[in-house]
Amino acid sequence: MISTKFKRAVLLAGLALGLAACGPKEPQTAGTPLGIRRLSEEQYRNVVADVFGTGIVVSGRFDPMIRTDGLLAVGAWNTSITPQGLVQYEEMARNIAAQVVSDANREVLIPCKPASAAAYDKVCAEQFFTKVGRLLYRRPMAAEEMTATLKITEAASDSLKNFYDGVGFGLARLLVSPDFLFVSDVAEADPKNAGTQRLNAFSKAARLSFFLWNSAPDDRLLQAAEKGDLYTAKGTEREVARMIASPRLKTGMRAFFSDMYGFDAFNVLEKDATIYPAFGQVAAQDAKEQTLRTITDLVLKQDGDYRDLFTTRKTYMTRPLGRVYEIRVTTPDGVWEPYEFPIESRRAGIQSQLSLLALNSHPGRSSPTLRGKAIRTYLLCQRVPDPPGDVDFSKFGDPDSPNKTARDRLTAHSTMPACAGCHKITDPIGLAMENFDGAGTFRTSEDGTPIDSSGDLDGVRYDDPVGLAKALHDSPAVAACVVNRLASYATGQPTAQSDKWVNFLREDFASNGYRVKNLLQRIATSDAFVAVPPPAAATSTKQASAQ
Amino acid sequence: MDALAPIYVKVLLHLRLPNPGPPVMRATSILKLLCATAAIVLCATPHVGAAEKKTLGFAVTKWNTAVYEGKFMDECPEGLNPSNKDIWWSKLNWEQRRKTPDILATQRSPWNFRGEHGEDVCVAPTSVKDPPLRIVKGGVSFGMNLDGNTDGAATAKTCKHENFTGVDGTAGVDNQMYRLFGCVYAWRSNGHIEQNANSHRLSSGLGMILIEISDVDDMRNDDHVDVTFYRGLDPFATDSAGHVLPFSSYRIDMENGKPRYGDKVAGKIVDGAIVTETGNVHLPFFGNYQYMNQEIRDLRLKLSIAPDGKTAKGDVGGYYSVEQIYRYVSGMLGAFPNTTQFSCPGIYVAAHELADGYPDAKTGECTMLSSAFKLEAVAAFINHPEAKPSQQAAR
Amino acid sequence: MTVLLPKSAPRRALLRGLLGGGATTLALPFLDCFLDGNGTALAAGAALPVRFGTWFWGLGHTPGFGVTDKKASGPGIDFLTECQALIPHKDKINYFGYFNTPLDGRSNYTHFSGWVGSRTGTAPVTGDEVPAPTFDLLIADVIGTRSRFKTIDVSATGNPRDSYSARNTNSRSAAEVSPISFYARLFGPEFVDPNKGDFTPDPRIMLRQSVLSSVAEDRQKLTKLVGASDKAQLDEYFTSIRELEGQLALQLQKPEPNLACQLPPKPAETNIDGQATGVLIDTVKSNHAAFAKLMAMAVACNQAATFNMVFSASLSQLRKAGESANHHSLSHEEPRDPKIGCQPQTSWFNARSMDALAVFVDAFAGIREGAGTLLDNTLIFAGSETSFARVHSVDNIPVMTVGKAGGRIKTGMHIVGNGDPITRIGLTMMKVMGVQVDKWGTKSLQTGKTINEILV
Repeated sequence: MISTKFKRAVLLAGLALGLAACGPKEPQTAGTPLGIRRLSEEQYRNVVADVFGTGIVVSGRFDPMIRTDGLLAVGAWNTSITPQGLVQYEEMARNIAAQVVSDANREVLIPCKPASAAAYDKVCAEQFFTKVGRLLYRRPMAAEEMTATLKITEAASDSLKNFYDGVGFGLARLLVSPDFLFVSDVAEADPKNAGTQRLNAFSKAARLSFFLWNSAPDDRLLQAAEKGDLYTAKGTEREVARMIASPRLKTGMRAFFSDMYGFDAFNVLEKDATIYPAFGQVAAQDAKEQTLRTITDLVLKQDGDYRDLFTTRKTYMTRPLGRVYEIRVTTPDGVWEPYEFPIESRRAGIQSQLSLLALNSHPGRSSPTLRGKAIRTYLLCQRVPDPPGDVDFSKFGDPDSPNKTARDRLTAHSTMPACAGCHKITDPIGLAMENFDGAGTFRTSEDGTPIDSSGDLDGVRYDDPVGLAKALHDSPAVAACVVNRLASYATGQPTAQSDKWVNFLREDFASNGYRVKNLLQRIATSDAFVAVPPPAAATSTKQASAQ
Repeated sequence: MDALAPIYVKVLLHLRLPNPGPPVMRATSILKLLCATAAIVLCATPHVGAAEKKTLGFAVTKWNTAVYEGKFMDECPEGLNPSNKDIWWSKLNWEQRRKTPDILATQRSPWNFRGEHGEDVCVAPTSVKDPPLRIVKGGVSFGMNLDGNTDGAATAKTCKHENFTGVDGTAGVDNQMYRLFGCVYAWRSNGHIEQNANSHRLSSGLGMILIEISDVDDMRNDDHVDVTFYRGLDPFATDSAGHVLPFSSYRIDMENGKPRYGDKVAGKIVDGAIVTETGNVHLPFFGNYQYMNQEIRDLRLKLSIAPDGKTAKGDVGGYYSVEQIYRYVSGMLGAFPNTTQFSCPGIYVAAHELADGYPDAKTGECTMLSSAFKLEAVAAFINHPEAKPSQQAAR
Repeated sequence: MTVLLPKSAPRRALLRGLLGGGATTLALPFLDCFLDGNGTALAAGAALPVRFGTWFWGLGHTPGFGVTDKKASGPGIDFLTECQALIPHKDKINYFGYFNTPLDGRSNYTHFSGWVGSRTGTAPVTGDEVPAPTFDLLIADVIGTRSRFKTIDVSATGNPRDSYSARNTNSRSAAEVSPISFYARLFGPEFVDPNKGDFTPDPRIMLRQSVLSSVAEDRQKLTKLVGASDKAQLDEYFTSIRELEGQLALQLQKPEPNLACQLPPKPAETNIDGQATGVLIDTVKSNHAAFAKLMAMAVACNQAATFNMVFSASLSQLRKAGESANHHSLSHEEPRDPKIGCQPQTSWFNARSMDALAVFVDAFAGIREGAGTLLDNTLIFAGSETSFARVHSVDNIPVMTVGKAGGRIKTGMHIVGNGDPITRIGLTMMKVMGVQVDKWGTKSLQTGKTINEILV
């Protein structure tokens, strides 16, 4: 049963694809080296929720990923599991399994009843693992994997005299196994082109679903892989269109933009409660949510121009946020309401929302340097060099000095040649946001001195944050950056500016009105997304890139 | 300065545009900034001020009876008042005192039931004759000159009473409420009555007083503004230390499409402080487990807003009904039978004797007490049912 | 003495997994001949284990305010204002001054190169590279196989990423940040009290072991499928599997009675949310104090033989409530007070760090073990990432060791490095703890010279 709404969405997506096909042709590319990557914390949680429902609690610490070429998702391709991390995974696996087989959940989550609850039942166990194993391993379990799992289940059922406890141990085995914890690319000989390789259908399905949904393939995508549909352009296009039309795309894009904009820092964000009393835990959570809502609304729901994210005044608001923004909120606590910043608020674009402003500040004050650096690295994909090792800053921070505002302090700072280079890159951007304090509240003066929020972005001058918003919107780097990041996010490989495929995607993005959904479709259906280099070169080059 | 000028000009242009939506509150901070700079000339340009009518909102966080405490408690030469319990105890003989534990084992708060026939003396304050309440004898008080004279002579609306000199030197201050409660420990700064009431409102979100100042043309000096008092429905938002946060939004309590409370008085702004004319105002109240729809007659308010616009402090004067205050006092005793340091009959008698306002048409006895209150408030957005988001805070 | 490893002998596999990591060679678990027999035996007669841990604080000392400089190595440490709290412990401490971190022309990645150089023996090439395993892990590989957990990482800062122990750039574990969840992990239902009379091996532990053995059998299948660099990822994973198997095996054996081990009280909630997060100095101090007690008991109870404790991050964000500047920003921006000759607030934070070290040392010194204390059988490496934070100097980074390592080292010494590479300290630590290593480090950080002045 497919709803009309869904059919229409697929049709429209297909139409968009058809139109796009009239544009420039995708260049031939060497393909992405094969690799394995560890599931991120969010992916792990999403898969568990998808397979067993959101009622299963996952609690534990995950080894950190290292941001590589701008994305944690790229770091995942180099990340393994430390002994300390494995202790956590093993514990999580047991906890999840215990919840799945608990009295409360077994009725729903285990598709059969054993002959006796006190003894091993091979038929029922096999039925359960066939279903669950396919979803967790993102492919049907191999016969020897099933045998090994059933062996554990039987031993545990016998030892504990309880079928369900036995199944719990069998499930823990799946959850702690590398086939679940790591997504590995598997290539196979391409029957259509002798001597070349292609990504096998299940690897392709996993790549698609982690790219678009940040979770494992669902049953339908696995079916498409099983039937060989993913080897055909038509089948792939159909599945990609379905995935893009799915509400799960929102989950996927929230994950992508959280990664791209460095929102992992929210986990350790702290503001001084005396200086910014309104910016508590709830406000911080809402600030992150506000920006993610702004993004998914503009980019997915409205299917708008990506660049408008940096000028839009439309967003969503809650009461805790209202207290930091110092604005009226009409809905009660806990309810989000659509909101449009008035022109005189000087807020335009997500870079003027609390999330990016507060994240890229100190606990007790703003930081034009951190903000400028964030815009350079997160929004424009540029690299800001690390600070030199031997600078004496004391003369800039002397409270008795005439340097009242951040601009004064930084101007003094920039007189030092060792510092000037980098600060010239970051500060003119960050100073334009000095109208927002360390929590993001609007202000017109610092320490009694009026704030000058003028600056320039690569030669484009502006007078205030709204001018910066426009400059960002019009900067070619903004659009190029999201293309680069999405392309790396999709394939796990850092992309070079000169990459032919990325150039092609960039042009395509521009010619299609900078619509992210269109870009996602283009990436997911392009040959480069799944291309595998010839066997000799197929072993990963990523170590070189990670160095 | 040159570099900044374009921004200010731009902002001014915004202010001149007619805006169909709610008032643009941010304008004030920009005005403030302008005043702080050499651009002060622009600030005075009439069309800037005429551009917008502004509305300010405040949520009252503290509401206290204004009790002036001299350095050596000179205002209470007889000392502080004994409690119901003290009076009860003082009338017991040694034998009775020895048996107190037995009495307490069978009877809850026996000191409340010392009427001639065992009546609860708070419910029936005339059922026993207690020693007279120790009232304030000092000459200085917070408050306002409510009746217009400085000698305390009776007028058409008042009975003869003694006047105070204001703490700020004002002559003819009327504050019989202070005379009544000033020597009752519970109402003084270390007492718990008002602290309790304030914290009960903070924790429950009940009895929330909202003050809206509308029709504001000029934040410094304005010859006419409207001041309206509402009951709010939303509790305070607090920071991690428990302090009430400014700039929260509050809904108004509505009944049949109209605010349940909503009395309005005219006022003006003088050097940044809001000063109202007089008017009869109903205010919600919750505290010490008592709800009240309190009426203050001839209420007048002076509200001073902090320079950062986040908080305000106010003085309220007006006449408060004896019947109402006694109902509050007597009701409270049920909640705090052991700790309330006053005697109901003492307060009852003194309150009637001290009443100086609104004489009863038949008896000629005054029915209300001149009174003064101090309030603290935080800046708030008061949401009328039709309110739309997009308003910025006034500073 | 029994080496409690499962029959499937993971040691070889373990070593295989580690090779190619650091510029060092590894030995099998440490040799009993290191034990000197001076009261270092448990009541039941088995030798007392020697444990190793690191303790990290950010932003070092103000030169001239930590210790009085010495011209030559010798006994006696003269602690100054920032180290007042350490004075009562000075006989248990060695102080190492004037050891340098030559970077061979590589950038000084501020607040990073210093700790990476001193802990891995190699200066990083980028601002996030950990080029080789930190030496605490090399020690853990040797001595961490006979405790319930191989190593424990804890940070008092609330940020699980504040950890200065890593196998390589991409292999860093998340630090424990909540004393309550730390307690639950260490002393929760799975804790086996060594002093309880009865002991029944938990069949569930055997089942958990078989789960891991079963997973380990997938190794061949997977390794065939992947390229060389991916193999390293899998190798690390399978090494972790084998190590956990070994640790579970330990739990199937009746632990030796251990009078030093007493179940500690559950820590109190540290703040209203029950979340032990934050960089307010008071929060961090109380978190750290709670962790210190738990850590000492975890070590005494043989839950871990190696550990890493972080008091403040290398880019120390410690701050006082209501102050907009934190320890790090103060270190750069606070003017020097000409009267006292230092940046007073920065120095204040430095001193609080040393207070915390004293608290940590107290926790270990407070547990009786054998004829001495737990501290006598422990070696703690306490170091920072910079010497004078104001200018990010990585030469003369303050380093101390605390504890006698079971009598293997002398204490109370002030060692003067005369500009030698700081890796001499790490090398000495490894040697003392039984890691078979002759040379350690790369380029100018390479050394084969131990600090013999402290060796017994």
